[in-house]
Amino acid sequence: MSPHRGPGRFGVITAFLLLGTAAGYPLTVLCLQAVFPHLLSGGFGEIFQPFTEMIHTEGLGQLMGNSLAWAGATTLLAWMLGIPCGWFLARTRLPGKGLARLTLLAPVMTPPYVGALCYILIFQTRGFGDRILGIPEPIREAFFGFGGITLVMALSSFGYVALAAETAFCALPPRLGDAARQLGATRRTVAYRVVFPLLLPAILNAGILVFLDTLSNFGVPAVLGTRADLPLLPAEIFRLVTSWPLNLPLATALSSLLCLFALASVAATRRLTREANGKGERVFQIRRISLGLWGNVWAWLWFGLLFICSTGLPYTAMLCMSLIENWQESGPTWTFNHYNALFRAGSGGRDALTNSLRLSLGAATLCAGAGGYLAYVISRTRSHTRHLLDALGTLPRVLPKIILAVGLILAWNAPWIPLRIYGTPAMLLLAYISIYISDALNFGAASMSRMNQGLETAAESLGAGRLRVFIQVVLPHLAPALGAAWLMTFIVCMRELVASLLLLPPGMQTTATFVFNQFEQGDLAAAMAMATVTIGLTTVVLILFQSISFFRTKDS
Amino acid sequence: MSTLQIQAAEVRLGNTRVLRGIDLNVAPQTCTALLGPSGCGKTTLLNVIAGAVALDKGSLYWGEQVLDLPAEKKFLPMNQRGFAMVFQDFSLWPHMTVAENVAFGLKIRKLNRSDRETKVKDALQKVRMEKLASRKPASLSGGQQQRVSIARALAVQPKLLLFDEPLSALDAKLREELKAELKLLLLETGQTAVYVTHDQAEAYTLGDQVALMNAGRVEQIGAPERIYHHPRNAYVAGFLGAANVLPYRQQNGRLEIEDIGHWPVRKDFPESGLCFLRREDVHFETVGEHLNGTCLINQFLGSHYALEARFGLSQILHGHGKPGLKPGTPVRAVCDVHKFGFLSPENSYV
Ligand SMILES: Nc1ncnc2c1ncn2[C@@H]1O[C@H](COP(=O)(O)OP(=O)(O)OP(=O)(O)O)[C@@H](O)[C@H]1O
Ligand SMILES: [Mg+2]
Repeated sequence: MSPHRGPGRFGVITAFLLLGTAAGYPLTVLCLQAVFPHLLSGGFGEIFQPFTEMIHTEGLGQLMGNSLAWAGATTLLAWMLGIPCGWFLARTRLPGKGLARLTLLAPVMTPPYVGALCYILIFQTRGFGDRILGIPEPIREAFFGFGGITLVMALSSFGYVALAAETAFCALPPRLGDAARQLGATRRTVAYRVVFPLLLPAILNAGILVFLDTLSNFGVPAVLGTRADLPLLPAEIFRLVTSWPLNLPLATALSSLLCLFALASVAATRRLTREANGKGERVFQIRRISLGLWGNVWAWLWFGLLFICSTGLPYTAMLCMSLIENWQESGPTWTFNHYNALFRAGSGGRDALTNSLRLSLGAATLCAGAGGYLAYVISRTRSHTRHLLDALGTLPRVLPKIILAVGLILAWNAPWIPLRIYGTPAMLLLAYISIYISDALNFGAASMSRMNQGLETAAESLGAGRLRVFIQVVLPHLAPALGAAWLMTFIVCMRELVASLLLLPPGMQTTATFVFNQFEQGDLAAAMAMATVTIGLTTVVLILFQSISFFRTKDS
Repeated sequence: MSTLQIQAAEVRLGNTRVLRGIDLNVAPQTCTALLGPSGCGKTTLLNVIAGAVALDKGSLYWGEQVLDLPAEKKFLPMNQRGFAMVFQDFSLWPHMTVAENVAFGLKIRKLNRSDRETKVKDALQKVRMEKLASRKPASLSGGQQQRVSIARALAVQPKLLLFDEPLSALDAKLREELKAELKLLLLETGQTAVYVTHDQAEAYTLGDQVALMNAGRVEQIGAPERIYHHPRNAYVAGFLGAANVLPYRQQNGRLEIEDIGHWPVRKDFPESGLCFLRREDVHFETVGEHLNGTCLINQFLGSHYALEARFGLSQILHGHGKPGLKPGTPVRAVCDVHKFGFLSPENSYV
């Protein structure tokens, strides 16, 4: 037996407590509530009634069909846009690749609902598009419906697919293609018999993330799809939880349906990618092809067009909207008033910004810290305990955010909870942590898997205790990953919409709800000013962070 | 008659001249070993033959057929050359089973199912892998993977089989085993082959002719024995330290090597120049007069002791020692003047 002691029982118990509170408890209550509709009032009657009600709900098939079709279409479109970008970056000698990569990162930084709002500004009647070009009615029609939400969602996620595809293309040894060409295969045969099957796992993995993200997205259809009669699962759940007449049991039943879709698609991907080869420790040289002048021009047109659609147009619309006082026949007049209003002491905007900053800083710090410790405990625990912790740690990542939010409402509203957390800002902090801890954990786990356990054993054999091993050996190794986790959590918390809408105490706002509500109420300029400030702020934090780690690596 | 002919081949990669004028002929049913230190361009030359790298200058023919002739902008793509390659890293397709890997080339050649199955079975039998036909490559050991990779290449009965250091990813024992098997396989099948390696023993065992490469050129080409006994220049003689390369002078009726000693004149040698002396032809004595050298290391290597001695300030001589000879002991070198070989300076590239 290995003499290794690892994090010990204390670590395992802490991990269970953390993950149990964050994910296990709310999800359990959610499932129980769906089965026992009277759970919260202490009864176990009418078992499965919510499901029966759900099955008899009119238009359930359409609801499911729409949700799956939208997620599927978005994934396909993101693949079509992203995979060529990945190929250009990995396998060609395209000049200016650094810039091309930046154009892919920009849309990832934009919250999807902000992108959707910007596109509304462009496409709505008498919007920017109408003022400058005039938008034909059929196009407008198509845009405020399935086509538009698919396009906007794909534009916000193709960059991720592209970067994943680039990594996959780079990780594919060119020898494998050569070996096939040698035996007489044409380029086409090599592409579909060798390259495609080997890329498939990475492409599927990138696709499933886009699929899940879309399936659970609330913001984009909430702002863009309202004119089209396009019922979707998250919106329906949201309606049942927030608008009169409330129907929590039915909401939980629909939530479990959404869960089922999410888990089934994850399981299917796992199955399809199980045989993926995880070796690739050898370094090899990649032969990059020259595209020639016209090839380069076409490639840059591709990147440029995507950048204009995903970032250029929306950001221009956003900035213009936030800076325009009014637009007469003669042209627009400009003003900074909307920004001034945002920062005026005691204004709703300023409060929202402070709230978001505090919550995001808190959530990011707690997630990174707890995520790192959890990653350590899980990677150094063996047997069944590990599988259980693993599953608990993965669930929040694959389950739609709205489901966790609903679970949290039920769990902390329950009569057996002595403290009143629900309805306080602490609830929101807890929600952010519950939703994003598994992403932080994932960052840590990836780093742990690259760490040789011998380093810990060496410290232990010299007499170091558990805590010392974690702090002096594991933590320094984890630090870069935890930094990245902190940054990512901060950025996504600053923009978190659906959990904030569902769990905010009355009278409190965050940046996301501020943007959303102002837009609903027709104060487009204020909404866009806030969106600009939020995006600017997160970008500044990102750049600061990058330059710190840049100088850090330069020193050592 | 030779089948593969390479003339004045030059390749530039980035800013490096990787091949600087290579001439090489490969006769049918023989194996040519390309031997050379790391970075000398062996893989690049193999890639040129395979069609993965195009020539910048020179020509490459298969019999009468043009494979690569940059002067006339002619280039036959890799998939139409009918060669097959075995890689150092095996390069088996991880998503296919062993049998599917081997069958790939046969499918491309549109063989029908039953023919294909017999040929796959045949090829796997030749490398003794028929039992593992349905496994995926990831579940095989390195040696087994390389066998499959050899079977994959053999199955299509390629016109020319190219090996790129196929054994260097394997451990010593396996390397010996597979080396012998490969030799037999090549003899049995009469396969024409080019075999790249940086291991002298491998090159001598497998090559009917050996081409010693250095910095993008072929220094010498010939049968293994010939290269060993008659190196053309100092580089070949000194490759992997197989021989001592020493400057000499003939005057006053004797052949002198500074600090080491003198011998009777060799009439066939010019007045001064470079000569070489194989290690096994040098012995060291600890008795007698003129103990003008000092033993530095005396290492037991199983079949013999390898001794390294210093003469004068910095002249080093390698040879065979004997048991019990301690470092620091004064020694003298004993060797027959007829074992000296002359190295012509004209044969060296500058
Ligand atoms: N794409 C490239 N661009 C620039 N230089 C290259 C490129 N590929 C190879 N080289 C250089 O060409 C030289 C020969 O490379 P090659 O791979 O043919 O050597 P090798 O003899 O096979 O070495 P090894 O025994 O290490 O495999 C090396 O100096 C290498 O640095
Ligand atoms: Mg090589």
